[in-house]
Amino acid sequence: MLSFHTANASIGNIPILRDLDFTIPASGTVALIGRNGAGKTTLLRSVMGFTNVSGEIRFDGQDITGMTPASRPALGIGYAPEDRRLFSAFSVEENILLPAQVARLDAATTQTRLDRVYHILPELREMGGRPAGHVSGGQGKMVALGRALMLGTKLLMLDEPFQGLAPALAKRYADALRDLRDTDRNVTLVITESNPALLRGFASQTFVIERGAVTEGSLDEKKEQA
Amino acid sequence: MNLTLFLLALFDGIAYAALVFIVAVGLTLIFGVMRILNVAHGSLYAMGAYLTASLTTFIVAAGLPPIFAFPCMLVSAVLIGAVIGGPLEWLLLRRIYHKPEVLQLLVTFAIFMILEDVQRLVWGTQPIFQSAALQLLGNVRVFSVNYTVYQLILLPMVAVALLLGLRFFLRRTVAGKLIVATTEDREAAQAIGIDADKVFLLTFIVGAGLAGLGGALASPTTSILPGIGADMIVLSFAVVATAGLGQIEGAALTALLIGLGRSFAVYVWPETQVLVPYLIMVAVLLVRPEGLFGSPAARKI
Repeated sequence: MLSFHTANASIGNIPILRDLDFTIPASGTVALIGRNGAGKTTLLRSVMGFTNVSGEIRFDGQDITGMTPASRPALGIGYAPEDRRLFSAFSVEENILLPAQVARLDAATTQTRLDRVYHILPELREMGGRPAGHVSGGQGKMVALGRALMLGTKLLMLDEPFQGLAPALAKRYADALRDLRDTDRNVTLVITESNPALLRGFASQTFVIERGAVTEGSLDEKKEQA
Repeated sequence: MNLTLFLLALFDGIAYAALVFIVAVGLTLIFGVMRILNVAHGSLYAMGAYLTASLTTFIVAAGLPPIFAFPCMLVSAVLIGAVIGGPLEWLLLRRIYHKPEVLQLLVTFAIFMILEDVQRLVWGTQPIFQSAALQLLGNVRVFSVNYTVYQLILLPMVAVALLLGLRFFLRRTVAGKLIVATTEDREAAQAIGIDADKVFLLTFIVGAGLAGLGGALASPTTSILPGIGADMIVLSFAVVATAGLGQIEGAALTALLIGLGRSFAVYVWPETQVLVPYLIMVAVLLVRPEGLFGSPAARKI
Protein backbone atom coordinates (compact mmCIF):
# COMPACT_ATOMS: atom_id res chain seq x y z
CA MET A 1 0.00 0.00 0.00
CA LEU A 2 2.74 2.46 0.98
CA SER A 3 6.26 1.52 0.01
CA PHE A 4 9.69 3.12 -0.07
CA HIS A 5 12.30 2.11 -2.61
CA THR A 6 15.84 3.35 -1.94
CA ALA A 7 14.27 6.58 -0.75
CA ASN A 8 16.67 9.24 0.56
CA ALA A 9 15.89 12.70 1.83
CA SER A 10 18.07 15.49 3.14
CA ILE A 11 17.43 18.90 4.59
CA GLY A 12 20.19 21.22 3.42
CA ASN A 13 23.23 18.99 3.19
CA ILE A 14 22.27 16.83 6.12
CA PRO A 15 20.84 13.44 5.17
CA ILE A 16 17.70 12.73 7.21
CA LEU A 17 16.32 9.58 5.62
CA ARG A 18 18.75 6.96 4.38
CA ASP A 19 18.03 4.24 1.83
CA LEU A 20 14.52 3.48 3.01
CA ASP A 21 13.32 0.18 1.60
CA PHE A 22 10.21 -1.11 3.27
CA THR A 23 6.52 -1.66 2.68
CA ILE A 24 3.57 -0.82 4.88
CA PRO A 25 0.80 -3.32 4.11
CA ALA A 26 -2.76 -2.25 3.38
CA SER A 27 -5.12 -2.14 6.37
CA GLY A 28 -2.18 -2.38 8.74
CA THR A 29 -1.79 -0.53 12.00
CA VAL A 30 1.81 0.48 11.93
CA ALA A 31 3.85 2.00 14.70
CA LEU A 32 6.91 3.95 13.67
CA ILE A 33 9.12 4.18 16.72
CA GLY A 34 12.14 6.38 17.08
CA ARG A 35 13.82 8.94 19.28
CA ASN A 36 13.47 12.67 18.75
CA GLY A 37 15.42 13.64 15.67
CA ALA A 38 15.48 10.11 14.25
CA GLY A 39 13.53 11.21 11.17
CA LYS A 40 9.92 10.24 11.99
CA THR A 41 8.39 13.55 11.05
CA THR A 42 10.55 13.86 7.93
CA LEU A 43 9.38 10.42 6.83
CA LEU A 44 5.71 11.41 7.11
CA ARG A 45 6.40 14.77 5.49
CA SER A 46 8.13 13.01 2.60
CA VAL A 47 4.94 11.03 1.97
CA MET A 48 3.05 14.36 1.91
CA GLY A 49 5.59 15.80 -0.55
CA PHE A 50 7.11 18.40 1.74
CA THR A 51 10.68 17.11 1.50
CA ASN A 52 12.60 16.36 -1.66
CA VAL A 53 13.03 12.64 -2.01
CA SER A 54 15.34 10.72 -4.30
CA GLY A 55 14.37 7.14 -4.98
CA GLU A 56 10.71 6.22 -5.06
CA ILE A 57 7.66 6.35 -2.81
CA ARG A 58 4.68 4.34 -4.03
CA PHE A 59 1.17 4.61 -2.70
CA ASP A 60 -1.64 2.32 -3.74
CA GLY A 61 0.35 1.03 -6.70
CA GLN A 62 1.22 4.50 -7.93
CA ASP A 63 4.56 6.32 -7.92
CA ILE A 64 3.84 9.50 -5.97
CA THR A 65 7.43 10.74 -5.64
CA GLY A 66 7.02 13.55 -8.17
CA MET A 67 3.46 14.55 -7.31
CA THR A 68 2.82 18.02 -5.90
CA PRO A 69 1.94 18.10 -2.18
CA ALA A 70 -1.53 19.50 -2.90
CA SER A 71 -2.51 16.60 -5.15
CA ARG A 72 -1.67 13.89 -2.62
CA PRO A 73 -4.46 14.17 0.00
CA ALA A 74 -7.07 13.50 -2.69
CA LEU A 75 -5.57 10.01 -3.13
CA GLY A 76 -7.04 9.20 0.28
CA ILE A 77 -4.22 10.35 2.53
CA GLY A 78 -4.90 12.13 5.81
CA TYR A 79 -2.09 13.66 7.85
CA ALA A 80 -2.22 15.04 11.37
CA PRO A 81 1.04 16.87 12.12
CA GLU A 82 2.48 16.76 15.62
CA ASP A 83 1.84 20.44 16.33
CA ARG A 84 -1.85 20.24 15.20
CA ARG A 85 -1.62 23.26 12.88
CA LEU A 86 -5.30 24.12 12.88
CA PHE A 87 -6.49 27.21 11.05
CA SER A 88 -7.25 29.56 13.93
CA ALA A 89 -9.32 31.89 11.74
CA PHE A 90 -11.99 29.18 11.39
CA SER A 91 -14.26 27.29 13.73
CA VAL A 92 -13.58 23.68 14.68
CA GLU A 93 -16.17 22.39 12.22
CA GLU A 94 -14.88 24.64 9.42
CA ASN A 95 -11.42 23.15 10.00
CA ILE A 96 -12.81 19.65 9.69
CA LEU A 97 -14.90 20.44 6.62
CA LEU A 98 -12.25 22.39 4.71
CA PRO A 99 -10.45 19.31 3.24
CA ALA A 100 -13.78 18.08 1.84
CA GLN A 101 -14.43 21.49 0.29
CA VAL A 102 -10.95 21.57 -1.22
CA ALA A 103 -11.46 18.10 -2.69
CA ARG A 104 -14.91 19.19 -3.93
CA LEU A 105 -16.67 16.21 -2.42
CA ASP A 106 -20.41 16.25 -3.02
CA ALA A 107 -22.75 17.04 -0.14
CA ALA A 108 -23.72 13.42 0.50
CA THR A 109 -20.11 12.18 0.63
CA THR A 110 -19.12 15.11 2.83
CA GLN A 111 -21.95 14.30 5.25
CA THR A 112 -20.97 10.62 5.34
CA ARG A 113 -17.36 11.53 6.10
CA LEU A 114 -18.41 14.07 8.73
CA ASP A 115 -20.66 11.48 10.38
CA ARG A 116 -17.70 9.11 10.44
CA VAL A 117 -15.61 11.76 12.20
CA TYR A 118 -18.36 12.52 14.73
CA HIS A 119 -18.95 8.82 15.33
CA ILE A 120 -15.33 8.31 16.30
CA LEU A 121 -14.88 11.68 18.00
CA PRO A 122 -18.33 12.69 19.34
CA GLU A 123 -16.80 15.50 21.44
CA LEU A 124 -15.99 17.38 18.23
CA ARG A 125 -19.68 17.81 17.48
CA GLU A 126 -20.16 19.71 20.72
CA MET A 127 -17.29 22.09 20.12
CA GLY A 128 -17.91 22.46 16.38
CA GLY A 129 -18.82 26.13 16.62
CA ARG A 130 -15.86 27.17 18.74
CA PRO A 131 -12.98 29.09 17.16
CA ALA A 132 -10.15 26.65 16.49
CA GLY A 133 -7.71 29.11 18.06
CA HIS A 134 -9.51 28.76 21.39
CA VAL A 135 -9.43 25.01 21.97
CA SER A 136 -6.92 23.42 24.33
CA GLY A 137 -3.85 21.62 23.04
CA GLY A 138 -5.40 18.21 23.65
CA GLN A 139 -8.70 19.12 22.03
CA GLY A 140 -6.71 20.54 19.14
CA LYS A 141 -5.18 17.10 18.60
CA MET A 142 -8.69 15.64 18.34
CA VAL A 143 -9.65 18.31 15.82
CA ALA A 144 -6.49 17.62 13.80
CA LEU A 145 -7.38 13.91 13.81
CA GLY A 146 -10.92 14.73 12.67
CA ARG A 147 -9.61 16.94 9.88
CA ALA A 148 -7.19 14.22 8.72
CA LEU A 149 -10.03 11.67 8.73
CA MET A 150 -12.03 13.66 6.17
CA LEU A 151 -9.71 12.72 3.31
CA GLY A 152 -7.75 9.92 5.00
CA THR A 153 -9.90 7.05 3.79
CA LYS A 154 -6.96 4.86 2.73
CA LEU A 155 -4.02 6.09 4.75
CA LEU A 156 -3.99 8.04 7.98
CA MET A 157 -0.66 9.31 9.27
CA LEU A 158 -0.52 10.61 12.81
CA ASP A 159 2.67 12.27 14.00
CA GLU A 160 3.24 11.73 17.74
CA PRO A 161 -0.47 12.01 18.54
CA PHE A 162 0.04 11.40 22.26
CA GLN A 163 2.75 14.03 22.65
CA GLY A 164 1.75 16.55 25.29
CA LEU A 165 -1.65 14.98 26.04
CA ALA A 166 -2.83 14.74 29.64
CA PRO A 167 -3.26 11.06 30.66
CA ALA A 168 -7.06 11.18 30.50
CA LEU A 169 -7.01 12.76 27.05
CA ALA A 170 -4.33 10.33 25.85
CA LYS A 171 -6.58 7.45 26.88
CA ARG A 172 -9.53 9.06 25.14
CA TYR A 173 -7.44 9.54 21.99
CA ALA A 174 -6.30 5.92 22.07
CA ASP A 175 -9.91 4.77 22.51
CA ALA A 176 -10.90 6.82 19.48
CA LEU A 177 -8.17 5.17 17.43
CA ARG A 178 -9.34 1.72 18.54
CA ASP A 179 -12.86 2.70 17.61
CA LEU A 180 -11.63 3.77 14.19
CA ARG A 181 -9.72 0.50 13.80
CA ASP A 182 -12.83 -1.52 14.75
CA THR A 183 -15.24 0.34 12.48
CA ASP A 184 -12.94 0.83 9.49
CA ARG A 185 -10.92 -2.22 8.56
CA ASN A 186 -9.66 -0.75 5.29
CA VAL A 187 -7.75 2.30 6.40
CA THR A 188 -4.02 1.96 6.96
CA LEU A 189 -2.82 3.67 10.12
CA VAL A 190 0.71 4.94 10.54
CA ILE A 191 1.47 6.34 13.98
CA THR A 192 4.84 7.71 15.01
CA GLU A 193 5.79 7.63 18.66
CA SER A 194 8.90 8.01 20.76
CA ASN A 195 7.36 6.06 23.63
CA PRO A 196 6.56 2.53 22.39
CA ALA A 197 4.55 1.65 25.53
CA LEU A 198 1.66 3.80 24.32
CA LEU A 199 1.08 1.67 21.23
CA ARG A 200 1.55 -1.77 22.73
CA GLY A 201 -1.36 -4.08 22.03
CA PHE A 202 -2.62 -1.78 19.29
CA ALA A 203 -0.06 -1.79 16.48
CA SER A 204 -0.03 -4.84 14.21
CA GLN A 205 3.42 -4.05 12.92
CA THR A 206 6.31 -1.99 14.15
CA PHE A 207 9.12 -0.24 12.36
CA VAL A 208 12.03 1.33 14.18
CA ILE A 209 13.68 4.41 12.76
CA GLU A 210 17.14 5.25 13.93
CA ARG A 211 19.34 7.98 12.42
CA GLY A 212 17.17 7.97 9.33
CA ALA A 213 17.29 4.24 8.67
CA VAL A 214 14.18 2.08 9.06
CA THR A 215 14.20 -1.54 10.20
CA GLU A 216 11.38 -3.82 11.20
CA GLY A 217 11.16 -4.28 14.93
CA SER A 218 8.73 -4.92 17.71
CA LEU A 219 7.42 -2.79 20.52
CA ASP A 220 8.70 -5.22 23.18
CA GLU A 221 12.18 -5.35 21.74
CA LYS A 222 12.41 -1.60 21.90
CA LYS A 223 11.37 -1.71 25.53
CA GLU A 224 14.21 -4.09 26.34
CA GLN A 225 16.66 -1.70 24.70
CA ALA A 226 15.40 1.15 26.78
CA MET B 1 -10.95 77.20 11.04
CA ASN B 2 -14.56 77.97 10.11
CA LEU B 3 -17.25 75.44 9.25
CA THR B 4 -16.68 75.68 5.50
CA LEU B 5 -12.98 74.94 5.77
CA PHE B 6 -13.64 72.18 8.29
CA LEU B 7 -16.13 70.47 5.97
CA LEU B 8 -13.81 70.86 2.99
CA ALA B 9 -10.96 69.25 4.91
CA LEU B 10 -13.26 66.51 6.15
CA PHE B 11 -14.58 65.70 2.67
CA ASP B 12 -11.12 65.86 1.09
CA GLY B 13 -9.87 63.50 3.75
CA ILE B 14 -12.70 61.01 3.30
CA ALA B 15 -12.40 60.98 -0.49
CA TYR B 16 -8.67 60.57 -0.33
CA ALA B 17 -8.86 57.89 2.37
CA ALA B 18 -11.26 55.87 0.20
CA LEU B 19 -8.77 55.82 -2.68
CA VAL B 20 -5.80 55.05 -0.47
CA PHE B 21 -7.70 52.23 1.21
CA ILE B 22 -8.60 50.59 -2.11
CA VAL B 23 -4.95 50.56 -3.14
CA ALA B 24 -3.57 49.69 0.30
CA VAL B 25 -5.94 46.77 0.82
CA GLY B 26 -4.56 45.15 -2.33
CA LEU B 27 -1.03 45.64 -1.02
CA THR B 28 -1.85 44.21 2.39
CA LEU B 29 -3.74 41.25 0.90
CA ILE B 30 -0.72 40.32 -1.21
CA PHE B 31 1.61 40.77 1.73
CA GLY B 32 -0.63 38.75 4.07
CA VAL B 33 -0.69 35.76 1.76
CA MET B 34 2.65 35.84 -0.01
CA ARG B 35 4.83 37.75 2.47
CA ILE B 36 6.05 39.92 -0.38
CA LEU B 37 6.02 43.69 -0.21
CA ASN B 38 5.17 44.54 -3.80
CA VAL B 39 6.72 47.91 -4.65
CA ALA B 40 5.35 47.58 -8.21
CA HIS B 41 1.86 47.97 -6.70
CA GLY B 42 2.22 51.73 -7.28
CA SER B 43 2.84 51.21 -11.00
CA LEU B 44 -0.27 49.06 -11.27
CA TYR B 45 -2.21 51.93 -9.67
CA ALA B 46 -0.77 54.42 -12.16
CA MET B 47 -1.45 52.14 -15.12
CA GLY B 48 -5.03 51.64 -13.94
CA ALA B 49 -5.44 55.43 -14.01
CA TYR B 50 -3.82 55.84 -17.44
CA LEU B 51 -5.76 52.98 -18.95
CA THR B 52 -9.10 54.28 -17.63
CA ALA B 53 -8.39 57.80 -18.91
CA SER B 54 -7.45 56.47 -22.36
CA LEU B 55 -10.46 54.17 -22.59
CA THR B 56 -12.84 56.91 -21.40
CA THR B 57 -11.40 59.47 -23.83
CA PHE B 58 -11.78 56.89 -26.59
CA ILE B 59 -15.42 56.06 -25.88
CA VAL B 60 -16.36 59.72 -25.39
CA ALA B 61 -14.65 60.56 -28.69
CA ALA B 62 -16.55 57.69 -30.30
CA GLY B 63 -19.77 59.43 -29.31
CA LEU B 64 -20.86 57.06 -26.55
CA PRO B 65 -22.50 58.59 -23.46
CA PRO B 66 -20.11 59.43 -20.58
CA ILE B 67 -21.83 56.88 -18.31
CA PHE B 68 -19.62 54.34 -20.07
CA ALA B 69 -16.72 55.82 -18.12
CA PHE B 70 -17.71 53.54 -15.21
CA PRO B 71 -17.50 50.23 -17.10
CA CYS B 72 -14.14 51.51 -18.40
CA MET B 73 -12.90 51.63 -14.78
CA LEU B 74 -13.92 48.05 -14.14
CA VAL B 75 -12.43 46.85 -17.41
CA SER B 76 -9.15 48.61 -16.59
CA ALA B 77 -9.00 47.07 -13.11
CA VAL B 78 -9.63 43.58 -14.48
CA LEU B 79 -7.06 44.06 -17.26
CA ILE B 80 -4.42 45.31 -14.81
CA GLY B 81 -5.08 42.34 -12.51
CA ALA B 82 -5.25 39.62 -15.14
CA VAL B 83 -3.00 40.82 -17.96
CA ILE B 84 -0.24 42.44 -15.89
CA GLY B 85 -0.66 40.98 -12.39
CA GLY B 86 -1.18 37.36 -13.46
CA PRO B 87 1.94 36.98 -15.63
CA LEU B 88 3.99 39.00 -13.14
CA GLU B 89 3.29 36.45 -10.39
CA TRP B 90 3.52 33.45 -12.65
CA LEU B 91 6.72 34.36 -14.48
CA LEU B 92 8.65 36.32 -11.88
CA LEU B 93 7.48 36.45 -8.27
CA ARG B 94 6.93 32.68 -8.06
CA ARG B 95 10.70 32.26 -8.34
CA ILE B 96 11.55 34.46 -5.36
CA TYR B 97 9.20 33.38 -2.55
CA HIS B 98 11.97 31.46 -0.81
CA LYS B 99 14.62 34.11 -1.37
CA PRO B 100 15.74 36.71 1.19
CA GLU B 101 13.48 39.73 1.66
CA VAL B 102 16.10 42.14 0.32
CA LEU B 103 16.12 40.31 -2.99
CA GLN B 104 12.32 40.27 -3.10
CA LEU B 105 12.24 44.03 -2.56
CA LEU B 106 14.87 44.56 -5.26
CA VAL B 107 12.91 42.46 -7.76
CA THR B 108 9.59 44.23 -7.15
CA PHE B 109 11.43 47.58 -7.22
CA ALA B 110 12.93 46.62 -10.58
CA ILE B 111 9.45 45.76 -11.86
CA PHE B 112 8.31 49.16 -10.61
CA MET B 113 11.11 50.94 -12.53
CA ILE B 114 10.35 49.00 -15.72
CA LEU B 115 6.62 49.70 -15.51
CA GLU B 116 7.30 53.40 -14.86
CA ASP B 117 9.20 53.56 -18.14
CA VAL B 118 6.49 51.57 -19.90
CA GLN B 119 4.03 54.28 -18.82
CA ARG B 120 6.26 57.03 -20.25
CA LEU B 121 6.61 55.04 -23.45
CA VAL B 122 2.89 54.46 -23.90
CA TRP B 123 1.34 57.62 -22.45
CA GLY B 124 4.20 60.14 -22.65
CA THR B 125 5.11 62.65 -19.96
CA GLN B 126 2.37 65.23 -20.51
CA PRO B 127 -0.38 65.22 -17.86
CA ILE B 128 -3.60 63.53 -18.92
CA PHE B 129 -6.93 64.73 -17.58
CA GLN B 130 -10.21 62.91 -18.13
CA SER B 131 -12.99 63.79 -15.72
CA ALA B 132 -16.09 62.64 -17.60
CA ALA B 133 -17.17 60.40 -14.71
CA LEU B 134 -16.70 63.16 -12.14
CA GLN B 135 -18.71 65.70 -14.14
CA LEU B 136 -21.47 63.22 -14.91
CA LEU B 137 -22.43 62.82 -11.25
CA GLY B 138 -22.44 66.56 -10.53
CA ASN B 139 -22.20 68.30 -7.17
CA VAL B 140 -23.93 68.09 -3.83
CA ARG B 141 -24.34 70.96 -1.37
CA VAL B 142 -23.66 70.27 2.30
CA PHE B 143 -24.27 73.38 4.44
CA SER B 144 -22.07 75.97 2.81
CA VAL B 145 -19.91 73.57 0.82
CA ASN B 146 -20.27 72.37 -2.76
CA TYR B 147 -18.59 69.05 -3.27
CA THR B 148 -18.55 66.47 -6.07
CA VAL B 149 -20.91 63.51 -5.64
CA TYR B 150 -18.22 61.31 -7.16
CA GLN B 151 -15.72 62.02 -4.38
CA LEU B 152 -18.06 62.52 -1.44
CA ILE B 153 -20.46 59.64 -2.06
CA LEU B 154 -19.28 57.24 -4.76
CA LEU B 155 -15.66 56.75 -3.64
CA PRO B 156 -16.49 56.09 0.04
CA MET B 157 -19.33 53.78 -1.03
CA VAL B 158 -16.97 51.75 -3.21
CA ALA B 159 -14.44 51.57 -0.36
CA VAL B 160 -17.03 50.39 2.17
CA ALA B 161 -18.49 47.89 -0.31
CA LEU B 162 -14.99 46.60 -0.98
CA LEU B 163 -14.26 46.21 2.73
CA LEU B 164 -17.52 44.32 3.37
CA GLY B 165 -17.15 42.32 0.16
CA LEU B 166 -13.60 41.25 0.99
CA ARG B 167 -14.66 40.27 4.51
CA PHE B 168 -17.47 38.18 3.11
CA PHE B 169 -15.25 36.67 0.42
CA LEU B 170 -12.51 35.67 2.87
CA ARG B 171 -14.75 34.41 5.68
CA ARG B 172 -17.68 32.86 3.86
CA THR B 173 -16.64 31.59 0.41
CA VAL B 174 -14.56 28.50 -0.23
CA ALA B 175 -12.06 30.40 -2.42
CA GLY B 176 -11.68 32.97 0.36
CA LYS B 177 -11.18 30.28 2.98
CA LEU B 178 -8.43 28.73 0.87
CA ILE B 179 -6.68 32.12 0.87
CA VAL B 180 -7.07 32.52 4.64
CA ALA B 181 -5.86 28.97 5.29
CA THR B 182 -2.83 29.39 3.03
CA THR B 183 -2.04 32.70 4.71
CA GLU B 184 -2.06 31.14 8.14
CA ASP B 185 -0.08 27.99 7.38
CA ARG B 186 1.02 27.18 3.86
CA GLU B 187 2.16 23.63 4.64
CA ALA B 188 -0.93 22.71 6.64
CA ALA B 189 -3.00 24.05 3.75
CA GLN B 190 -1.18 21.87 1.26
CA ALA B 191 -1.57 18.90 3.60
CA ILE B 192 -5.33 19.11 3.12
CA GLY B 193 -4.99 19.46 -0.63
CA ILE B 194 -4.94 23.22 -1.16
CA ASP B 195 -2.92 24.18 -4.24
CA ALA B 196 -0.87 27.01 -2.75
CA ASP B 197 0.50 28.05 -6.16
CA LYS B 198 -3.02 28.67 -7.43
CA VAL B 199 -3.96 30.56 -4.27
CA PHE B 200 -0.92 32.80 -4.67
CA LEU B 201 -1.78 33.50 -8.30
CA LEU B 202 -5.41 34.27 -7.48
CA THR B 203 -4.40 36.52 -4.60
CA PHE B 204 -1.93 38.44 -6.69
CA ILE B 205 -4.45 38.94 -9.50
CA VAL B 206 -7.03 40.24 -6.99
CA GLY B 207 -4.45 42.46 -5.26
CA ALA B 208 -3.11 43.86 -8.53
CA GLY B 209 -6.67 44.38 -9.74
CA LEU B 210 -7.37 46.44 -6.61
CA ALA B 211 -4.35 48.65 -7.37
CA GLY B 212 -5.74 49.06 -10.88
CA LEU B 213 -9.20 49.82 -9.49
CA GLY B 214 -7.74 52.47 -7.18
CA GLY B 215 -6.04 54.10 -10.15
CA ALA B 216 -9.18 53.82 -12.26
CA LEU B 217 -11.29 55.50 -9.57
CA ALA B 218 -8.66 58.18 -8.96
CA SER B 219 -8.31 59.04 -12.65
CA PRO B 220 -11.23 61.51 -12.96
CA THR B 221 -10.15 63.41 -9.83
CA THR B 222 -6.58 64.23 -10.72
CA SER B 223 -4.08 64.92 -13.48
CA ILE B 224 -2.39 61.69 -14.43
CA LEU B 225 1.33 62.18 -14.87
CA PRO B 226 4.58 60.30 -14.23
CA GLY B 227 5.25 59.85 -10.53
CA ILE B 228 1.71 59.31 -9.26
CA GLY B 229 2.51 55.60 -8.81
CA ALA B 230 5.48 56.38 -6.58
CA ASP B 231 3.41 58.77 -4.43
CA MET B 232 0.69 56.20 -4.00
CA ILE B 233 2.91 53.22 -3.15
CA VAL B 234 4.71 55.22 -0.45
CA LEU B 235 1.44 56.40 1.06
CA SER B 236 -0.29 53.02 0.91
CA PHE B 237 2.77 51.43 2.43
CA ALA B 238 2.48 53.94 5.28
CA VAL B 239 -1.17 52.87 5.71
CA VAL B 240 -0.34 49.17 5.62
CA ALA B 241 2.58 49.48 8.04
CA THR B 242 0.59 51.65 10.46
CA ALA B 243 -2.35 49.25 10.42
CA GLY B 244 -0.19 46.14 10.75
CA LEU B 245 0.78 44.12 7.70
CA GLY B 246 -2.02 41.86 6.46
CA GLN B 247 -4.80 43.69 8.36
CA ILE B 248 -7.76 44.53 6.13
CA GLU B 249 -10.11 46.23 8.60
CA GLY B 250 -7.12 47.96 10.15
CA ALA B 251 -6.12 49.31 6.75
CA ALA B 252 -9.57 50.91 6.40
CA LEU B 253 -9.35 52.78 9.70
CA THR B 254 -5.74 53.74 9.17
CA ALA B 255 -6.46 55.04 5.67
CA LEU B 256 -9.15 57.25 7.19
CA LEU B 257 -6.76 58.43 9.91
CA ILE B 258 -4.00 59.24 7.45
CA GLY B 259 -6.37 60.69 4.84
CA LEU B 260 -7.93 63.05 7.37
CA GLY B 261 -4.57 63.92 8.91
CA ARG B 262 -3.23 64.84 5.49
CA SER B 263 -6.26 66.91 4.43
CA PHE B 264 -6.49 68.86 7.68
CA ALA B 265 -2.77 69.58 7.40
CA VAL B 266 -3.44 71.08 3.96
CA TYR B 267 -5.85 73.63 5.47
CA VAL B 268 -4.14 74.27 8.78
CA TRP B 269 -0.42 74.02 8.06
CA PRO B 270 0.05 73.34 4.34
CA GLU B 271 3.83 72.93 4.53
CA THR B 272 3.36 69.70 6.49
CA GLN B 273 0.84 67.96 4.24
CA VAL B 274 3.45 65.57 2.81
CA LEU B 275 4.91 64.96 6.24
CA VAL B 276 1.77 64.26 8.29
CA PRO B 277 1.05 60.69 7.07
CA TYR B 278 4.59 59.66 8.00
CA LEU B 279 4.45 61.43 11.32
CA ILE B 280 1.34 59.39 12.11
CA MET B 281 3.13 56.24 10.97
CA VAL B 282 6.23 56.96 13.07
CA ALA B 283 4.15 57.86 16.13
CA VAL B 284 2.17 54.62 15.89
CA LEU B 285 5.17 52.40 15.17
CA LEU B 286 7.14 53.88 18.06
CA VAL B 287 4.42 52.76 20.46
CA ARG B 288 3.29 49.61 18.62
CA PRO B 289 5.97 48.26 16.27
CA GLU B 290 3.56 45.60 14.97
CA GLY B 291 1.07 48.28 13.87
CA LEU B 292 -2.26 49.43 15.29
CA PHE B 293 -4.06 46.17 14.56
CA GLY B 294 -1.21 43.75 14.01
CA SER B 295 -0.16 41.07 16.44
CA PRO B 296 3.55 40.33 16.65
CA ALA B 297 3.37 36.68 15.66
CA ALA B 298 0.03 35.77 14.16
CA ARG B 299 -0.60 36.31 10.48
CA LYS B 300 -4.16 37.22 9.77
CA ILE B 301 -6.02 38.71 6.88
